[in-house]
Amino acid sequence: MKDPPDITIVTGASGWLGQALLAALTDPADPYGRAGEIRALATSKPEGDVLGRSPGVVPVVGDVRTRAGLRDLFDGLTGSVDVIHAAGVIHPGTVSDFVEINTRGTQNVAAAARAAGVRRLVHVSSNSPFGVNPHPTDRFRNDEPYHPYMGYGRSKMLAELRLLDEVGKGLDAVIVRPPWFYGPHQPARQTTFFTLVRTGKFPIVGDGTQRRSMVYVDNLVQGVVLAELAEAPPGRAWWIADERPYEMNEIVATVKSALANAGLDVTDRQLRLPGVVGRMAQAADSIVQRSGRYVTQLHVLGEMDKTIACDIAVAEAELGYQPAVELGEGMRRSIVWCLDQGIAL
Amino acid sequence: MSSRADVLVIGSGAGGAPTAALLAEAGYEVLVVEEGDMVRQGDAVPFSLDQMDRQYRSGGVTAAIGRPSIAYTEACCAGGGTEINSGLYRRPPEDVIDRWRTEHDIADFDTAEIYAICDEVEAELSVQPIPGTATGASEALKRGAERLGWSHDEIPRWMTYSSTDVASGRRRSMTETYLPRAVGAGARIETGTRVDRLVVSDGRATSALLSDRQGRATTVRFNEVIVCGGAIQTPALLQRSGLRHRIGRSLAVHPTVKLTARFGDELNVPDDVPVHQVKEFAPDLSFGGSASSPGLLALALSDHWKLFGSAIEDWRNLATYYAAITSEGRGRVMALPGLRDPLVTYRLTRRDRALLGRGLARLALVMLEAGATEVYPAYRDAPIVRGRRDLAAMQGTFGVGKASMMTVHLCSTVPMGRRPKVSATDSHGLVNGTRNVRVNDASLLPDAPGVNPQASVMAVAIRNARRFIERSGS
Repeated sequence: MKDPPDITIVTGASGWLGQALLAALTDPADPYGRAGEIRALATSKPEGDVLGRSPGVVPVVGDVRTRAGLRDLFDGLTGSVDVIHAAGVIHPGTVSDFVEINTRGTQNVAAAARAAGVRRLVHVSSNSPFGVNPHPTDRFRNDEPYHPYMGYGRSKMLAELRLLDEVGKGLDAVIVRPPWFYGPHQPARQTTFFTLVRTGKFPIVGDGTQRRSMVYVDNLVQGVVLAELAEAPPGRAWWIADERPYEMNEIVATVKSALANAGLDVTDRQLRLPGVVGRMAQAADSIVQRSGRYVTQLHVLGEMDKTIACDIAVAEAELGYQPAVELGEGMRRSIVWCLDQGIAL
Repeated sequence: MSSRADVLVIGSGAGGAPTAALLAEAGYEVLVVEEGDMVRQGDAVPFSLDQMDRQYRSGGVTAAIGRPSIAYTEACCAGGGTEINSGLYRRPPEDVIDRWRTEHDIADFDTAEIYAICDEVEAELSVQPIPGTATGASEALKRGAERLGWSHDEIPRWMTYSSTDVASGRRRSMTETYLPRAVGAGARIETGTRVDRLVVSDGRATSALLSDRQGRATTVRFNEVIVCGGAIQTPALLQRSGLRHRIGRSLAVHPTVKLTARFGDELNVPDDVPVHQVKEFAPDLSFGGSASSPGLLALALSDHWKLFGSAIEDWRNLATYYAAITSEGRGRVMALPGLRDPLVTYRLTRRDRALLGRGLARLALVMLEAGATEVYPAYRDAPIVRGRRDLAAMQGTFGVGKASMMTVHLCSTVPMGRRPKVSATDSHGLVNGTRNVRVNDASLLPDAPGVNPQASVMAVAIRNARRFIERSGS
């Protein structure tokens, strides 16, 4: 394992993972706390001001969509530098944002990182370049053929490929692939998820035995930092997820019970939809995305009957990754965080 | 013309040959009737067109109708499938035996007993790994799997070798083992003779109507009949004989898709197949190597010949591989009046389709890791895969409806056991509603075992033959 660098550049610093990363990296008591400068990319001045409140964080306003937008972020670097590229969009306004932010953004960050001679870049990818498993007990192995799921999956696949092109030109970059996140710093859509589950309106599509790999954000932070500091060859990629995938039935039951334990009013009712609804939504999503538009609800519903499950054995073996938090505890902490923030569930 | 036999065994493959040997050795007067010819080993080049013509049913071209249709091959010769396949041998896995016993309620189906029979069979057939190194195509599969960290192993074969050269292998097929044993114990074998139907009344079969190649009809009278024609011909014969209850309704196969990989070095061995298989995703998904003679290579490239065809000039650098799945789908075998061959249908489920697509892509990934410069997937308008980014294009355009689907493992059309609404025979192959019509071949296996089924067929056949001998106390 290498020592942390003098400067750590974090893109997507205001996002879900970005905030969790910053919280860990800037906390001396955290196992991943570090002393050097954390240079955080913000998309606006107000966003930068918020980031700047954390000790050790130097906010830089910029934009991954252009090389010019990254000039300040990579300006005046001294000593060793690592880049954690966590910027990305998953539920955009239009499909073209996928390409602009996920693909071109990654290409720009990778090219800038190579030009700046950084020590290592960690690219945060996704399960989406690999599609869905063919049946509920199948697991994606560490190495799988690409089969991107819709516009997002395609943009993240192309991002990986562009990144690997830069690796071919000499950049030291590695990839972590997290599935569905949960945990503190969650965005509004995850709040909606909790509310839907609490009121019984989050649909279980099919028989609910489809499985999902999920990752608690602190587990993901661990995986990202290990990937950054591990002695692993450039171009390597790993799944970073909780220890095991969860059945959809278990996810819903666990969230309900965590909400009830937090003193919230949880219904016994449960919306169940036949599997065909998921397939219809997927077809509709595909048509809508082809016309360049994006409807979050349609996209999410289309994925609901699918198994998306990965095997983290290689990350455990090569990085020493050990996910410490599992679904029950992770959901408990997420709900406590929401309530602490004054978010109504 | 008519003749008589104590026991008539119909078919001489992995089911019929051991059945005939054990019964003859127990003192029964056995007549084996075989539709195909006796072709001595060495007389036909393995996987050649000449062999397909002489030892395969319909020259190797038969298909199960459905969307998509699935081509299947059946042998038609003395010794059946054991004469023409790759001789790869896999015991039925323990969980498969457990599943058959519990889900199909098969009586006296003891794992230890089945494995003890497997021990015998393995000694009789000299089941062993190859001496020395495997063919280049086999090593390529192994190398690709190793690089991905995927589990793989070598499948032993029923072969004897006179040297450490793999090419010195001689297969211990039925015409070299159980059929000579049967003849040595007094059994008669009539080849080139087809059984048109059994005469059954009141649940008792009394005679079989036969015809030879010239269409001359004969009759054989018997006390007992054991049908071992394989999972297509056995149910068809029973149906032609008026026995239709639960027969031919649950065909199980391992649907298979293929690709051809091109390497920088010469690795093609036209008359042999790879012995390695990738078992990382077993039992759902297995990868292995196929026969890759120039003729078969051309067939494997034919789905997009305009793009792939020129590769055939480099045939020494090509090898064909398959991805096989355990299928949730089922098929039917239906004998139709006036037609010589039955109608076979098969239906894949959504899961089967998804698994075939993912399986073909994973297999292509193995080939890229093994060092293939180009991969040609066997489906209509497929792209050439040269790198990982092409795998996305491949999966984006794949559909089983466009694929050249095939299978060689056909089972379960007359399943044994005591499962309500499913089992067509008792736990030992006696056809329900009859007193002396037995089945003893792949038709009895309750489902496709996820591995080459021939070891399972032999083990079950020997078990049932022993039971028959014990019960009738010859």
